[in-house]
Amino acid sequence: MSMTRREFIRNTAVAVAAKVAGIALPASATNVLLEGDITQMKWSKAPCRFCGTGCGVNVAVKDGRVVATHGDVHAEVNRGLNCVKGYFLSKIMYGGDRLTQPLLRKKNGAYAKDGEFTPVSWDEAFDVMTEQFKRVLKEKGPGSIGMFGSGQWTVWEGYAANKLFKGGFRSNNLDPNARHCMASAVMGFMRTFGMDEPMGVYDDIEATDAFVLWGSNMAEMHPILWTRVTDHRLSNPNVKVAVLSTFQHRCFDLADIPIVFKPQTDLVILNYIANHIITTGRVNKDFVNQHTNFKQGVTDIGYGLRPDNPLEQKAKNAKDPGASEPIDFDKFAAFVAPYTLEKTVEMTGVDKGWLEKLAELYADPKTKVMSFWTMGFNQHTRGVWANNMVYNLHLLTGKISTPGNSPFSLTGQPSACGTAREVGTFSHRLPADMVVTNPEHRKRAEEIWKIPQGIIQPKPGFHAVEQNRKLHDGVLNAYWVQVNNNMQAGANLMQETYPGYRDPRNFIVVSDAYPTVTAQAADLILPAAMWVEKEGAYGNAERRTQFWHQLVKAPGDAKSDLWQLMEFSKRFTTDECWPAEILTANPQFKGKTLFDVLFRNGNVDKFPTSQIEAGYDNDESAAFGFYVQKGLFEEYATFGRGHGHDLAPFDAYHQARGLRWPVVDGKETLWRYREGSDPFVKAGAGFEFYGNKDGRAVIWALPYEPPAESPDAEYNMWLVTGRVLEHWHSGSMTMRVPELFRSFPSGVVFMNPDDARSRGFKRGDEVKVVSRRGEMRSRVETRGRNSMPPGVVFVPWFDAGQLINKVTLDATDPISKQTDYKKCAVKVVAV
Amino acid sequence: MRDKPVVAIALLAIVVAVAVGYAVGRKSAPASSAVSEPVAAAQKPTAPASATEARPASNQIDAIRRGVPIAEEASPPVMAHVENTDIKRVRAYPMQPPTIPHSIDNYQIDKNSNRCLLCHARANADRFQAPPVSVTHYMDRDEQILATISPRRYFCTQCHVTQTDAKPLVANNFKDIDTVMSEQPVQKAN
Amino acid sequence: MWPRIKSWAAMFWRTMRRPSVHYSLGFLTLGGFIAGVIFWGAFNTALEATNTEAFCTSCHEMHDNVFQELKTTIHYTNRSGVRATCPDCHVPHRWTDKIARKMQASQEVWGKIFGTINTREKFLDNRLELAEREWARLKANDSLECRNCHNYASMDLTRQSTRAAQIHQRWLGTGEKTCIDCHKGIAHHLPDMAGIPQG
Repeated sequence: MSMTRREFIRNTAVAVAAKVAGIALPASATNVLLEGDITQMKWSKAPCRFCGTGCGVNVAVKDGRVVATHGDVHAEVNRGLNCVKGYFLSKIMYGGDRLTQPLLRKKNGAYAKDGEFTPVSWDEAFDVMTEQFKRVLKEKGPGSIGMFGSGQWTVWEGYAANKLFKGGFRSNNLDPNARHCMASAVMGFMRTFGMDEPMGVYDDIEATDAFVLWGSNMAEMHPILWTRVTDHRLSNPNVKVAVLSTFQHRCFDLADIPIVFKPQTDLVILNYIANHIITTGRVNKDFVNQHTNFKQGVTDIGYGLRPDNPLEQKAKNAKDPGASEPIDFDKFAAFVAPYTLEKTVEMTGVDKGWLEKLAELYADPKTKVMSFWTMGFNQHTRGVWANNMVYNLHLLTGKISTPGNSPFSLTGQPSACGTAREVGTFSHRLPADMVVTNPEHRKRAEEIWKIPQGIIQPKPGFHAVEQNRKLHDGVLNAYWVQVNNNMQAGANLMQETYPGYRDPRNFIVVSDAYPTVTAQAADLILPAAMWVEKEGAYGNAERRTQFWHQLVKAPGDAKSDLWQLMEFSKRFTTDECWPAEILTANPQFKGKTLFDVLFRNGNVDKFPTSQIEAGYDNDESAAFGFYVQKGLFEEYATFGRGHGHDLAPFDAYHQARGLRWPVVDGKETLWRYREGSDPFVKAGAGFEFYGNKDGRAVIWALPYEPPAESPDAEYNMWLVTGRVLEHWHSGSMTMRVPELFRSFPSGVVFMNPDDARSRGFKRGDEVKVVSRRGEMRSRVETRGRNSMPPGVVFVPWFDAGQLINKVTLDATDPISKQTDYKKCAVKVVAV
Repeated sequence: MRDKPVVAIALLAIVVAVAVGYAVGRKSAPASSAVSEPVAAAQKPTAPASATEARPASNQIDAIRRGVPIAEEASPPVMAHVENTDIKRVRAYPMQPPTIPHSIDNYQIDKNSNRCLLCHARANADRFQAPPVSVTHYMDRDEQILATISPRRYFCTQCHVTQTDAKPLVANNFKDIDTVMSEQPVQKAN
Repeated sequence: MWPRIKSWAAMFWRTMRRPSVHYSLGFLTLGGFIAGVIFWGAFNTALEATNTEAFCTSCHEMHDNVFQELKTTIHYTNRSGVRATCPDCHVPHRWTDKIARKMQASQEVWGKIFGTINTREKFLDNRLELAEREWARLKANDSLECRNCHNYASMDLTRQSTRAAQIHQRWLGTGEKTCIDCHKGIAHHLPDMAGIPQG
């Protein structure tokens, strides 16, 4: 039976009507039921499904259905509070169009690229998928298969995918959508500290004297952290909040120092503050001398566009953008000296007084500072630089790793840290900050995975943006997307993403719970279990690993991504995937399936299903006959234990409301790199940035460089894209929750009222947002939560009905390969 | 010559009419084109899939895209209106923050002032007959009751949102506890 | 000093009392009338010119702060397109009050010259004082400038939301409250309202 669009819409409409009619009032609403077992609901803990804050929630289950959720009062992160999305978690799994069967494009009973979606069995789905992957493996080798994962994967799902692709298929073409989100933060950490993730914790919020938001709209994107900031600011009048952005958003409601700067000039402000600290003699010399080094990075590094783009060919250091040379303090001081107050005012358009006040927050030795940033820094063609430059300010003043002194990179996805970063599902990474380019690291991974030496390929695979380009060019031909919606999220949709997915040379598989636009562009759709339909683990922005149990069954034939990955691995043998010489040298692996060598390796299948906590289902373990999640987690944890990435034993996480790694001797670590609070710092060192061999953090001399594209006479406005409070990810879940949908039902173009008037637009007018790459249609909004400066428009991207990424530019930071979604040139015209 | 004033008046009337007509015509010309254009645009998406989209329309499975193929752009729905009826809505479960049943256009909620509390603060609720904020809003992180609204709950719109009249594109099959319990005996009988 | 002024005054008095030698009465009367009309016209033109939004927002203090805030409110754009400009709310409509307000405005000229609020920061620091002046004025004249357009007698309460209708009837209808009591910050952002009653 093929579900036609007409039927689909009819089904949807019927369900809507039933909902609106309200049906009958349940009798129980009017009298008190006293039978205990009827009124009892089973409450269990889980982390929220949405953002990287990692709030704890309690989930009530009755008769196999989630009937309520609320903030967990015992969760340290949120202490009983949720944001509006979190309060409606109960509804995210019950959208009327949940996918419950695999859907394959078929024509005349067989798979066809131009066929219609037809429900098929899992066997048929996997048969076709296996055939396609094997065809590509045979014809073109592992470099032509790939997978796009997510920071919404559970820890073990990401880990299983990492093993399957890097250790099974021998393809490093595995990248998470966290590349769009956190890659610049990762490279910022690696270049400054040699080790990923923040040194501080959320407890810094209650300990600090000043908050500086560098391109982060926490009020909408991390609402619960914002409640903690608000709590601290309003309870302590001496605490200051500085908010920096290219337009005014809800965070400005709490700002003592409101700063709207010209796009890209945040780099100027960062160097101005460093210069201010130096010229006013407030450098913490002891700290700088003992714990830091200075380096100067190469400049003119390009914009991560396709290599034949004129901008790339012109750039001197596009080939090796991360290169650097050591310098000393005096050279650094001379480097930032041109960034004077006057020059900064001129370049940024910011009032002198605000800049001085902001600089004083960092310079004043008595003020503890917490810096926050998210996509304003990370989605930036100089995002890694911006990350490095904010660390400069904290390092020059020694304001780091102590309570309240905290440069803090916030994360977008619920497990961007836990899965994408710690598990290392990036195309160049392995678990625990290791990389595929390092032979030592490869060797260690192969030992832990118990696979022969030489299986893991030394060359990094295609990163997110490159994957789209390679699909477009027909280089990448078999492609699997799990838990994300990259057709909607990837930049430059019409020129890069869409043609690649629909290219007849390519076979695209999308695993999702809902029919997203990415699913719509696929050839095979696999229905996925989500959130509490499976046992899971997420890691939040403060290094807190949190577990949950499976609480309900997935609908229909929907299966978790973990089951899909492991089940698929059964269909490949080592002879099909590994070179003959490795198999000859290691004959014990011959003829085995990838499932056998990767998941029945004595580690992963070590724990019996009897160890699953009583009262909870575990569909994956039931299917495979061993406690899958525990085996995968314990094997994964061996990567980091003893190396500063220590995770607690599996069972501890089902008891605790999350633990912040490194967990040593059962104790979590709050502030890393400081003696007394981090067990890895040597006695007497005071501070030790042990990610770098010499224990020193790096202060980077990096300049301002212009963005890839700026407004001109024709495309005369800046386009900034982002989110709104009510919707998360691509809206695939939140748009299906009626209350969230009705609060913010469709995308709009936030625009300055004068810009609108001068173009003859009224609020609500239909307009086209046009760039050199494409156009989308939306409506003008001159009121509401954002207040735009002249010349800048903001368009949220949650609405699948208005694909703003048809317009955006796929320029990336050349070091991190993360897309800049915050700056491109557009014109807004009448339809 | 007795007609002279009449002729003068008639001439004046003509001049005025021409001037008014010219002025009106000038003003209404751009306005009328602005009105007619969206109508034309609105018809576009209902037209059958264009030749560039080779796949049949039945493949448009993402309801959020409102049936429009990925490579095409449809006229966006008109801006929805915020419901301003003051009628309380049912909560899905007791802990759900109630949605706001009225418009909050231009309500200032910042560190200087909180418009919501003008009516919803404990001390003001009687004067405006508004539901006062619940006791949890007076608790700090450690569940201690404070004298005033807890600063962590200060920004109302993080949890409470207005509702527009937009029709959901996809139904939601969530069932509240009462519905699940009322279905229980039926399940047992089976 | 004093005798000198006295002698000048006496001379002036004499001149004014003496009949005209060269000009006819007709010329003087007509000339005086025309001069008066021209003067009056010029005065009123000047008065009206300073009573426009364009004039008010010609200085950046007003343009960059309060005018930008107005633009997202109902007094700038709304359903029927009837809008309020700066003087509609901030300059009394009665002639004598208007002149009095214009004379007060000399203080604002000083403020402009000395740059009292020439940056956003200074403006925010002074905003409470500025706002309090307007609130006091509107409270004292029973929100006269509001009522120039929003007349309670002309309000059809059934066309308001239930909540608004109830509140208007209870508090405005009885005269217990005036518009500005509840509607502070309706067109511009509010300063720190700690300790200031609203409603």
